[in-house]
Formats: sequence, C-alpha cells, structure tokens
Amino acid sequence: MLRFLKNKLTLFFKTSEQVARGKAVSVIETELEELEHIFGILVLGSYVGMPSPPVHISLDLMPLMERELIMMMEKIDTANEPIAQLFSTLDIG
Amino acid sequence: MARAINLFFMGKGGVGKSSCSALNAVSLAESGHKVLLVSLDPAHNLSDIFSLKLNHKPTKILPGLKAIEIDQNRWIKAYLKDIQRQVKKTYSYLSAFNLDHYFKIIRHSPGLEEYALLMAFRYFVDHYSDYDFLVFDMPPTALAVKFFGLPSLSLIWIEQLYSLRKEIIDKRELITRIRLLNKEMERDKVLRRINELRSECQDVRDIFQDRTWTRIHLVMNSDELSHAESRRIVDDLADLDISIDYIIHNKMQPHVPCSFNSATFADIPVLEFPCSESPLIGMDALQRFLDADHARVRSQLHACHMPLKSFARPD
Repeated sequence: MLRFLKNKLTLFFKTSEQVARGKAVSVIETELEELEHIFGILVLGSYVGMPSPPVHISLDLMPLMERELIMMMEKIDTANEPIAQLFSTLDIG
Repeated sequence: MARAINLFFMGKGGVGKSSCSALNAVSLAESGHKVLLVSLDPAHNLSDIFSLKLNHKPTKILPGLKAIEIDQNRWIKAYLKDIQRQVKKTYSYLSAFNLDHYFKIIRHSPGLEEYALLMAFRYFVDHYSDYDFLVFDMPPTALAVKFFGLPSLSLIWIEQLYSLRKEIIDKRELITRIRLLNKEMERDKVLRRINELRSECQDVRDIFQDRTWTRIHLVMNSDELSHAESRRIVDDLADLDISIDYIIHNKMQPHVPCSFNSATFADIPVLEFPCSESPLIGMDALQRFLDADHARVRSQLHACHMPLKSFARPD
C-alpha cells in the first residue's frame, strides 16, 4: 500500500514538473519557431519571390533546411489568422 | 603553403585583355616560369590568339606554358548536380517532386554565372599550386566586377545568417536544457555549413586583397569610353578593398588623339603597349611582337614581374 502511494506521488510530481517545464518554455518555443521561420524566408525566400542572398548560399543550405521548408508550407495555413495564432500562443480565451 | 601568383587581366570589352594576358603568359614562360593561362571569359579568344583548339583541359602551348578555356556551363551543371543529389537524399519522400524540372530553371538563376567563375578560380588555385603563375583572362567589366565582389557580398549575408542561426541554436539549447535536462544536442548542420561557406568566402576575398599573391592589370585603350570605364572599375574595386596594380595602355598609336590621362590614375603604374602593325594571331606573331617589333613591351613586363619573382618558386 505504502509502495503504491509512493509510486503515485512520484508520478504526480514528475508529471507536475514536466507540465511546469513545458509551460516555462512554450513562449520561447513560439519565439524559436518564428526565428526559424524568418531564417527560412531569408535563405529560401527567392523561391517565393522575396529578396534573397546570392543564389549559391540558398542552394548550398537548401538540402539542410527540410524543417524550415516544412514550416514555410505550414505557415501558409495560418498566415491569414495571425491574431488567432497569437491568442493561442498566449493561452487566451 | 605553396601557391601560384594570380595575375588578372580585366577591362572594357575589346581593349585587348586576351592579347595582353597571352603576351604576359608567353613572356613569363620564356623567362623560365611555369605558367597556366586561364580564360574565364565565356566568349573565349585564346584559341583564336594561339591558333589552337583549347578546351577545359590544359593544352601545352610552350615549354612551361599551358592554357585552358573554362566551360562555364560545365561548372554550373556539376555544382547543381551535387546540390540535386543532396536534395534527393534529404527529401527522398518527395518522390512526386520533379527536381529535374526545377534545377533546369535554377541553372539560369542570376548570380550563378559569376559563382561558376569563382568555383573555377578556386579549383585552379587549389589544383595548380605547383605552378609559378596563374594568368587569368577575365570577362568584360560587368561580369568581372561581379566576380571580384561576390565573396564580399556573400560574406555580408553569411554574417547575418550566422547571427540569426546562432540565436536559434541558443534558444533551442535553452529549451532542451529545461525540457530534457541537459540532454546532448545534435550539432546543427546548417550552422556548420554556414561556417564552411564563411571560411570559403573569406579565403577567396583574402586572395583578391592580398597584393603578394594577386596582381590585377587593368587594360585600356586611348579612347574616352575606355578611359571612363576604367576609372569606374578602379572605383568599384576600391569599394571592395581591391586595388589595381598596373594599367596597361594598350594599342597606343603615335599619331592618334589620346584621352588617356595618367593623372586620373595617379598612383597606379602604367605599362605602354603599342599597337601591333599585324594581327597578334599565332605564337610567331606574339613572339615577334615581344622580341623584334616592340622589345620595350617585354622589358616593361619583366620590370613589373621582377618583384614577383622573389615569391615565385625557384627553378
């Protein structure tokens, strides 16, 4: 019985700690995502009509930027609802 | 590190860059140096000047002198093929993505032309370091200035991208530390590639700016247009911290009005090459011009290469 209680308590504290850690970094994660998005646009912007670095820099980095490319694609879905996205990030409503 | 000395010949179209670079290369080879003459001009003239069929492989012209006309499209194709291979490897799940079609379009992207020249230049510097001199016959002004400016321009972008990437990695590390308690992070491949690009661009820019290993000859004629364009070339290269070492006043004619004003290029030594009475085509014509008709040309070339000889490898 005592062991059962101890295990439950340990699990409770571990979960609480994970939730606290998750909450602590959620805003930084959003900021990171935005930075990665800006990086993607800067390097690969020429493919969507943005000013871009010399073409060899884009081409050299493109094979390594799978994550940024996927983010650029996903961003298309939320690009027309920036306020909704901000509210979601700040956990409002 | 053993390295060849790079001699560039640039100027307005039609002023005689190819002839001057050929005369220079022949003169150096005849004085016992090992010389590679490279045409970076997409509209090659060296084959016509030497009356030989040159290509992308070194062709022997004289003992100690070989010449190459680079194939720009070949460099672009090889570069894009490598990128395409890497993209296919990374995005292998995108089987429906028609990469060949996209890369056929990318081949015509602005900026790839000068990058192809830069790749070729780096190749020759790396693979012909056992030569004494690499003599480069450059394309006309616009492309040549872009060629010299590309490393500096790339570095401006690379520095900005590096700072941004570093910020991303710092934030990513912070998140990993909080979430996963100091779990070892995978090294960022993008940052590593940016660092490699930075070091490549810095190396080339340093070579262009280093007066020990690089000499730039600006070829011009007596006419006003050539004079004005040459002035702009000097200013454009000065913005890149690259200086012109010699001006070659080419095709000088004694009784033709001359717009050349040496005061405009006050601190740059001027070499005077007279107009040849016969076309400078074929090795005999080049040697005759250097030896019999205008021995002063050879003596000027010798004089300007004298300080370089101490850097060139002893025989």
